Amino acid sequence: MSSGPARPHPRLALALLLLLALAALVAAPLVGTQRISLADVLHGEPTAAAIFWQLRLPRVLLALLAGAGLAVSGLGFQTLFRNDLAEPYTLGVASGAALGAVIALRLDVAESLLGLPLIAPASFAGALGATALVVGLALRRGQRSATSTLLLAGIAVSLSCSAIILFLQFLSDSTQTFRMVRWMMGGLAVVGYGEVLWAAPWVVGGTLLLLLLRWDLNLLLTGEEMAASRGVDLVRLRLKVLLVTSLMIGALVAVAGPIGFVGLMVPHILRRWVGYDHLYLAPACVLGGGAFLVLCDLAARTLMAPAELPVGVLTALLGGPFFLWLLVWRRRG
Amino acid sequence: MTERPEILLTVRGLAWETGGRRILGPVDFAVRRGECLAVVGPNGAGKTTLLRLLTGLLRPTAGEISYQGQGFAALSRRELARRIAYVPQIRPDHLPMTVEEVVLLGRYPHLSAFQMAPRSEDFAAVAEALRLVGIAELRDRPVDELSGGERQAVFIAAALAQESELLILDEPTIHLDARHQSDLAALLLRLKAESGRTVVLATHDLNLASLLGDRLLAVAGGTVLAVGTPAEILQAALLEQLFRARFEIVRGGERPVTMLELAPP
Repeated sequence: MSSGPARPHPRLALALLLLLALAALVAAPLVGTQRISLADVLHGEPTAAAIFWQLRLPRVLLALLAGAGLAVSGLGFQTLFRNDLAEPYTLGVASGAALGAVIALRLDVAESLLGLPLIAPASFAGALGATALVVGLALRRGQRSATSTLLLAGIAVSLSCSAIILFLQFLSDSTQTFRMVRWMMGGLAVVGYGEVLWAAPWVVGGTLLLLLLRWDLNLLLTGEEMAASRGVDLVRLRLKVLLVTSLMIGALVAVAGPIGFVGLMVPHILRRWVGYDHLYLAPACVLGGGAFLVLCDLAARTLMAPAELPVGVLTALLGGPFFLWLLVWRRRG
Repeated sequence: MTERPEILLTVRGLAWETGGRRILGPVDFAVRRGECLAVVGPNGAGKTTLLRLLTGLLRPTAGEISYQGQGFAALSRRELARRIAYVPQIRPDHLPMTVEEVVLLGRYPHLSAFQMAPRSEDFAAVAEALRLVGIAELRDRPVDELSGGERQAVFIAAALAQESELLILDEPTIHLDARHQSDLAALLLRLKAESGRTVVLATHDLNLASLLGDRLLAVAGGTVLAVGTPAEILQAALLEQLFRARFEIVRGGERPVTMLELAPP
């Protein structure tokens, strides 16, 4: 008699998630302040086609990419630290990105780089800077407790970045402060295909690299000592996962702002249905995380229409109660 | 009568220190091919440190270890894992895998990153390891549902699936009740006979060391106090020096049985 939860069905779960993601991708651009029909879009009715292809599809695609990237990064962090609560935010990656963006906003530079406003490369640099700092701090300490040192260093860097952000906001005038606060809510409001093309390679490349590390990540679930004795080079594995995820997070935060909790919630929910194997879990996070953020963004666009809720506010509103649920009701018995 | 056994592992001037404090060493000894070397000694003697050095998990601060003449420093983690398998004392308390999946992960040093599915030789090694350990019927059971003794057997099977010549076990019977201890001792005895592997194990349990060990390495205060056959090591005077506790030799012979005197007269 099996006492645990039902056995996971990775293939079935993946197939269902693929359907969900495709449905969200097609349906979400049809819904909004002006409802359009798929028939009109396919027949090339000019207004409907313009709304679908030019206004809404890039936004939906970016939501899909951002949700996918955030969820896969969260998965990578949770496995690497063997900690249920690890996600890009715990490690200061996202705070570093936010600090980069806030500095760019404070300096009020209008230049653009690679076709994106300077705020994007600034937050990208912030994410990488924060990771480098965290890894550097952890490397200065011995190998014995590298994982907990990384986690603590991440929290310290995260808190420091938040403090500097507050300080910069205090120094700024109200217009700048408003823009900073709005940026930090995370949103997908003004996007075109440029942002999609920018984010896609990072998310796709990062996911593929994590898939190549699938054996290492699976083995890490049995413990660091065990994994190392089977031939995993822990130092290099940590560096690879941290680098890959911070590149992904940096690239995404650069165009979508910090969108929290997706990386925490999605891997958790999916692990129950898909199982532990990263061969299935990583693509499941891509599809599930993508679909989740598309639906969140859809809700953010329509719930308070004609006003738009920043999607980061919505995910954060969902994330708090989820966190509590995780802490209180989902202790394994 | 028998030819001189070949040396598998050579340990020379090995030492490890942390924070300026010497935990182990310098120690010198060799592990012969096909033998079972049991490391015995009190808590804090440096047994686990020694085993972690022998697996390459720790880098020595002085001295060196070589595997068939090849220094550890010249071997990558993966190359080491193909030669040496380790069953550590610390095990995960929750593992969402079946027995077969855990044992399959023992194939890691033989798998490449671009390999999306294990090959038939991997499954063959897993089946052989499960058979040797005698848990073939547990193959599809979730590890979390097993008893402590069965879980220990699973991790030993995973180490066997690694197909390395040397197997290192750290306190294999710790936290097990009497029945599981004797089951595991029987399992290890059978493995020693059937798997043809060289085994190094650290244990608190002198009777287990006596039963399995061809030679015993008595370690105290980070140095080797004595090396020899069970009959040579398991003597009241030496044990008292080693553990600072009194033991009675209940049964002599080639593999003596000892008993700790809890309240010596």
